[in-house]
Amino acid sequence: MARVVVDPLTRIEGHMRVECEVQDNKVVDAWVSGTLYRGMETVLLDRSPEDAFYVSQRICGVCPISHSHASSQATEDALGIKIPEGGRLVRNLLEAAQFLHSHILWFYNLTALDYVSPVNALSANIADTYALAQAAGTKAADFGAVATRLKAFVDNGQLSIFSGHYWDHPGYALPPELDLIATTHYLEALEMQAVANEIVAIIAGKFSHPMTSVPGGTAFVPTVERLDDILFRFIRVKEFIDTALIPDTLAIAPFILDAAGYGAGTGNFLSWGVFEKSSLVPEERYLPRGFAQGLAAEGVTPEDVTEDVTRAWYSSATGLNPAQGETVAKFTEYDMSNFPGETDQYSWGKAVRCKGKSTESGPLARMIVAYLAEKGGADLTGGAAGVRTPAALIDSTLEALGVGGKPEVLVSLLGRVAARNLEAAYVADLALVWVNETIEAIKGGDAKFWQAAETDAGDGVGAWEAPRGSVAHWIGIKGGKIDHYQVVAPTTWNTCPRDDSGVRGPLEEALVGAPIADPERPLEILRIGHSFDP
Amino acid sequence: MAQEAHGAIYDLLAVRGVSRRDFLKYCSYVAAMLGLSEAAAPAIAAAVEKGSKLKPALWLNGGSCTGCTESMAQVDSPDVATIVLELLSLNYFETVMAAAGEHAEKNIQDTIAAGGYLLIYEGSVMTGEDGNTLLVNGHKGTDILKEAAESADAIIAVGACAVDGGWVAAHPNPAGATGVQAFLDVEGVKTPVVNIPCCPMNPEWVVAMVVQWLLVAEDDPATFLAKTELLGKSYDDRLTGRNVTLLYPKYVVGSTIHDNCPRRGHFENGDFVTEFGSAEEAMGYCLYKVGCKGPQTFTQCPITRWNRSVSWCVQSGAPCIGCGAISWVDNNTPFFKRLSSMQMGDGLGYVQPGSVAAVVGGVAAAALVAHGLGMKAAGRIGPDGPPTETVKKHDRKRQAKGGDK
Repeated sequence: MARVVVDPLTRIEGHMRVECEVQDNKVVDAWVSGTLYRGMETVLLDRSPEDAFYVSQRICGVCPISHSHASSQATEDALGIKIPEGGRLVRNLLEAAQFLHSHILWFYNLTALDYVSPVNALSANIADTYALAQAAGTKAADFGAVATRLKAFVDNGQLSIFSGHYWDHPGYALPPELDLIATTHYLEALEMQAVANEIVAIIAGKFSHPMTSVPGGTAFVPTVERLDDILFRFIRVKEFIDTALIPDTLAIAPFILDAAGYGAGTGNFLSWGVFEKSSLVPEERYLPRGFAQGLAAEGVTPEDVTEDVTRAWYSSATGLNPAQGETVAKFTEYDMSNFPGETDQYSWGKAVRCKGKSTESGPLARMIVAYLAEKGGADLTGGAAGVRTPAALIDSTLEALGVGGKPEVLVSLLGRVAARNLEAAYVADLALVWVNETIEAIKGGDAKFWQAAETDAGDGVGAWEAPRGSVAHWIGIKGGKIDHYQVVAPTTWNTCPRDDSGVRGPLEEALVGAPIADPERPLEILRIGHSFDP
Repeated sequence: MAQEAHGAIYDLLAVRGVSRRDFLKYCSYVAAMLGLSEAAAPAIAAAVEKGSKLKPALWLNGGSCTGCTESMAQVDSPDVATIVLELLSLNYFETVMAAAGEHAEKNIQDTIAAGGYLLIYEGSVMTGEDGNTLLVNGHKGTDILKEAAESADAIIAVGACAVDGGWVAAHPNPAGATGVQAFLDVEGVKTPVVNIPCCPMNPEWVVAMVVQWLLVAEDDPATFLAKTELLGKSYDDRLTGRNVTLLYPKYVVGSTIHDNCPRRGHFENGDFVTEFGSAEEAMGYCLYKVGCKGPQTFTQCPITRWNRSVSWCVQSGAPCIGCGAISWVDNNTPFFKRLSSMQMGDGLGYVQPGSVAAVVGGVAAAALVAHGLGMKAAGRIGPDGPPTETVKKHDRKRQAKGGDK
């Protein structure tokens, strides 16, 4: 028995510690600790609801748009505002740009380094690299130039952000030519994520921390010219997804098929739903609201949420729905040596539960909920031709990997990686549809983008999706001031600690049973951790 | 001459298809930001080119949202700018580095032991719950910052949180957040700190300061402050109870947003947006009436703009929320209300610290305090925010005449 600790888990947003008990090269128990507390919910009290829109998004600099949308929706719910059609369209475009930015950045610049070795890429034969790129249907580039650049970088002896890592780990098993292709796309991804964010900046002023999706709709008034600027950027990003992200995923998958055999998590899935249709009904969103236990779908509402704090550093009451939630910090200590000692606490994350269950959220959850909805008869194309829907993407990918008709294999590390990239393809298809829809909508010149509130009091909740998981903000407003605010952030679902009954969080559960080839260099922990894009 | 040189940088540039001409053009742009004449471009290119070894740097995340890291990834002309950044060996950068856990921590320890590095710090300094509000591998975030700061040649505090605690330090500051300079003052660490404001900071401003550091550090890092054009500002840090003097690059805080706003003409003409998403917004009218804090916020946003210059807040229709100001959340909320005096908050602007070198010794600090405007002057202490107006006299007149167009 040995303890294996990864702290800090790098290539994530924020600060996280993973501690595992490893026996015979297998994880037998795990504890995931969020190691930063800032106190957003308390800072917002007594301020104006629109201040919450601006400040609460600063919980996360990687998914601020989703937080800001959840915050504005909470205020709109509390004050009875129905956002106009123009506001809905603009918000969908903004959210789509962030999803595409986030998924591209995650795959190439954050998790790829768990599978791809830029050092190994130096051994690639350039001619073979072109042949492999053609066979895999993935994007070619000047592979020779990238190899030269890499060599100069490595020869210098200072590996900068690539230094100190165990590139000789046997888990780096791709052929060097594929390493070179993926490293080339790593560099191109840096450009593509920035292009996606230019869309964010056009609509919302800047990224990070967008400015325009204020409660009531949007402050951004689109013109045909601005929409053209947005459209050509979406086309570039979509092309990269179709010619690099998806084929690279399929090219790498055969070398990591063992990852289909572990990392499953708790098997409970939540999606609040994201990308609004005209009805503004969450169950009818492009990625619909829903809950699934395994592959069985059911309905869900924010009232199904509770937060346990017995194992977290809070002295407030446990088991509350966030509408009544409290946040009172009280650090005790971090000592997992004799867990579960009665008073052991180990995280700044609360143990959030849906219907009492430890629940995963994020692209895998959304794609499973959407897949089940489609199999149940829902049409997720939005009435547009050529949109590849979640079910179509999943079925064709399973087919390509030789597991056609077996969606249950999605519930694994490999499935979680693939689901995120497939979701990017769906959102990219939709984004082009939405730009054209917006161009049509502004043609008459009477499109509405913002609606004022009629009252200054009420309680509301905004439940939405960020690229990495389900996000919900609860607000109570009295006399135009915030008197209650609670947030359940996306990553809290996945990286939360044990609940009052001792049930592990989804990442903790996904780690248990995972093989660890070399406990000194626990690459598998990085892979599973990053698969949740925390 | 730089144009004739065959340094490693030009090989790298050639590989990426960037001509020397492009590179020199970029250096001119950096020179302009640094307040140097275009004639300085070859000197910048030469300084950038001559280092065969990369300068070591650590990028530490405190109580951050990673938004400043994200912002850095949106830097303009990445083909050139990232090469400039590649002159830094970023030995520790949690969000992008390959290594994790003890392997990552070894990078930090090795760099500190070797010394001679630049420290870039993102996020608030977390002192709450006896420093346990931020833990990395069992160490308190405050201990890591102190150790890394003591041995650094210089520190760049990036983004509002690193500058003064940002939103995390807003009332009632539940996690005990403060800024890098305030924390180091308490700890008695004298390493020079340059602050890059806004939430997040603008990446172009960081690149320019990194270039400036490379220019100076090549000869003598100890002359960094003396050779850099800075403006100072002091404020009362509520957490530490100290009057803290912050140094900013002059190219960032030299004028207000209002001074350089493309909508300024509409302000002069009295053409205002009074409702979001309205016909007035479509015409690009002034956002002052919906709370724009441009008049009292000293940053270069309208000139540099954001995300490779495609837009910035006001251009997209959002009033400035003054995220470049000190204590920006407490001083500027409610964001949609106008402050009752346009000179509120940072009204007096930023002052020339005279001999900047003397600031390090604390001599000029006293002069800054005399000029400084802090929280007290802004009148903001409690949760109700600064004094805001409901309806101005001229508004009443306009309304009597039937309001805005």
